[in-house]
Amino acid sequence: MLEYAWLIPVLPFVAFLLIALLPKRTLLWEDGGLYAIVCALGAFALSMGVIWGVIVSEDLPYESEEYTWLIIGDIEIPFGIYIDELTAVMLLVISVVGTLVVIYSGGYMHEEGLGRRRYYAEIMLFISVMYGLVLASNYLMMFIFWELVGLCSYLLIGFWYEKPSASSAAKRAFIVTRVGDIMFMAGIIILFIYVDDLRFTALFGAGGVAAVPTDMLILSTALIFGGAIGKSAQFPLHEWLPDAMEGPATVSALIHAATMVKAGVYLTARSYPLLLQTPESLLFVAIIGGVTALIAATVALAATDIKRVLAYSTISQLGYMILALGVGGYLVNDLGSADGYSAACLHLMNHGFFKALLFLCAGSVIHAVGTNDMNLMGGLRKYMPITSLTMLIGALAISGIPPFSGFWSKDEILAAVFEAGEVNWIFTLLWIMGFVTAFMTAFYMFRMWFLTFAGKPRSAYHAHESPKIMTIPLMILAGLAVISGFALFIGEGFTEFIAGSIGLEGHGSAVDIASDIFTDPLTYMSLGIAVVGILFAYRVYYMPGFDRSVFAKGVPGAFHRALENRWYISQFYDDFAYKIWYGFSLLADKFDRYVIDGIVNGIAYLGSNSGGVLRKAQSGNVQRYAGLIVVGLILLLLFVLYIAPWARGL
Amino acid sequence: MIPIEYWLVFSSLLFLVGVYGVLTKRNAIVVLMSIEVMLNAANINLVAFSSYHDALHGSSDATGQVFALFSIAVAAAEVAVGLAIILSVYRRYRTIDVDQINILRW
Repeated sequence: MLEYAWLIPVLPFVAFLLIALLPKRTLLWEDGGLYAIVCALGAFALSMGVIWGVIVSEDLPYESEEYTWLIIGDIEIPFGIYIDELTAVMLLVISVVGTLVVIYSGGYMHEEGLGRRRYYAEIMLFISVMYGLVLASNYLMMFIFWELVGLCSYLLIGFWYEKPSASSAAKRAFIVTRVGDIMFMAGIIILFIYVDDLRFTALFGAGGVAAVPTDMLILSTALIFGGAIGKSAQFPLHEWLPDAMEGPATVSALIHAATMVKAGVYLTARSYPLLLQTPESLLFVAIIGGVTALIAATVALAATDIKRVLAYSTISQLGYMILALGVGGYLVNDLGSADGYSAACLHLMNHGFFKALLFLCAGSVIHAVGTNDMNLMGGLRKYMPITSLTMLIGALAISGIPPFSGFWSKDEILAAVFEAGEVNWIFTLLWIMGFVTAFMTAFYMFRMWFLTFAGKPRSAYHAHESPKIMTIPLMILAGLAVISGFALFIGEGFTEFIAGSIGLEGHGSAVDIASDIFTDPLTYMSLGIAVVGILFAYRVYYMPGFDRSVFAKGVPGAFHRALENRWYISQFYDDFAYKIWYGFSLLADKFDRYVIDGIVNGIAYLGSNSGGVLRKAQSGNVQRYAGLIVVGLILLLLFVLYIAPWARGL
Repeated sequence: MIPIEYWLVFSSLLFLVGVYGVLTKRNAIVVLMSIEVMLNAANINLVAFSSYHDALHGSSDATGQVFALFSIAVAAAEVAVGLAIILSVYRRYRTIDVDQINILRW
């Protein structure tokens, strides 16, 4: 099955070409939606085949080099396919969420008219290049797809480009992630300088990066992780993701929750064999992840836009994954355990399902109410029973309530971080941050749910349940949000499966893992804190009699304002851009206008002015010309007769 | 025999007279006459060197004298062309003052 993997990105690309190029009347249902769904389902089926191939295959990683793209001297850059267990996890998320989102779009985008064609073409291009990104067999190929997903993200955030906020959010997303992309590229270039071969099989094998000096390897891995900071919206480059919510909710669900933002996590996990050799970079990874998880969760506490709550929650959950990856490296190096790595990958998969579910639910709500502002919702449970129930499942999953999927992976992450506290005290600190984040996650998710679905309507809306084409994907995702955590126990366990991609083995059977989880007091602590968070949200946002005006006064008020202003980070970037950077740009403009243009114009003026002066010599007076000829003749004679012989005698 | 220097000094003086005339006279016909004087200064040089050829090299050579004859013929033709130009300039501008004829300028 694995040899057909190259078809997976090709199918959605064919859909992209068909939708973009066919005449309008041949687009059939929903202006191309039919082609999109058919090709997405085809890619889904192929992905399932490949995943099955990975599960049964004895010989991983599978690599095939289909095509040599570039030959520079002795260096060959191939386009190939690289498949291991990590690829399989990503393929599962992309194919499931991608297909469901395309189906859901059939209802959600129904009213967009002609824009649907552009929408379906772009979203199929995105799915295609996202598959390409995870199947890439070398860093350069990965980077190309990495840039292409960024392009698709830009196009789809700016789908409603006539809205100024949408087009500026698109530009912001593109430019901010570009900062990370450049770091990623620099990291690749450092590797390329020393190794001449960017294939994963070559780099990750024994001694693959032996030629790279240690400090350059640290720099390189840190820079490659810099790409992940941009793409996965980690602190301090996280502010583009909440703005990216200007796009349609389907785009947020697919690109900005389930797949593209996971590319950074995937890149970090993919580079694990390199990162394991540079513990300094791993520490950096862990700290960035922990800080991001905490900061983003705090901002989500005060957001009133339903999609922004989810966006900050996405950033926070991505922070968890990055934290687990950073910590997991220490666990691999010092304890030989793949727990952190496996927890990150499991959370990557679980989060892909429940966050896509939450976004699609939010889309369903927005579709019904016509606003993103939770202050104008309330009481929707009566009108939208399916959406409210599926969103409740999503909220329970992300809050970490068993048996929903988020519980298993989040608990594994926190356990791994706590375990690593033995290695370095910083990890204990990060564990506390993760623990607090778990509380806040439960709180803000249920704050959102209560504000949206519970209580009484706070504005006059005419809500109705969404059509079946939207609710069925919600139900499927809700089902996955319930069960995907049990992957931990299937067969020899998820840890055993995923550890294969970094050449380790998991520990114990499903029973051992379960008894590990349920005998650990930490499990009950993190479960307890989540329940406390939910009860707290229930008290504040559901039970009558709580005076929420305390959030507007005194110290809580100041805190609340800071949160509403996203810790002023966004404002800082704006100030930086508008004041400092704009000032610098003005300076550059002056330099260009006066120095560069001055030189160019000066040369032109010199020519024209000296011409103006010299043309006076053309008096038209023949006798003056004759006189000058005589003077010239005399000078020539003097030269020939006296100066030249004298000069020759020197 | 008159030393050759005498001829050379004479032709130089004649040439300078011609140059002076070309540079200072405003009447185009006088300028043309001065040019003729300069040409004749050159002719005198040619003839003088030719007649001193035997004394200087031990063999006679008439090339210089033939050249002088050619030069006179060319000068005659040149005068004809020059006078024709002056005539048509006069018809156009009603003047042959070279200071006035200066439209070929910036």
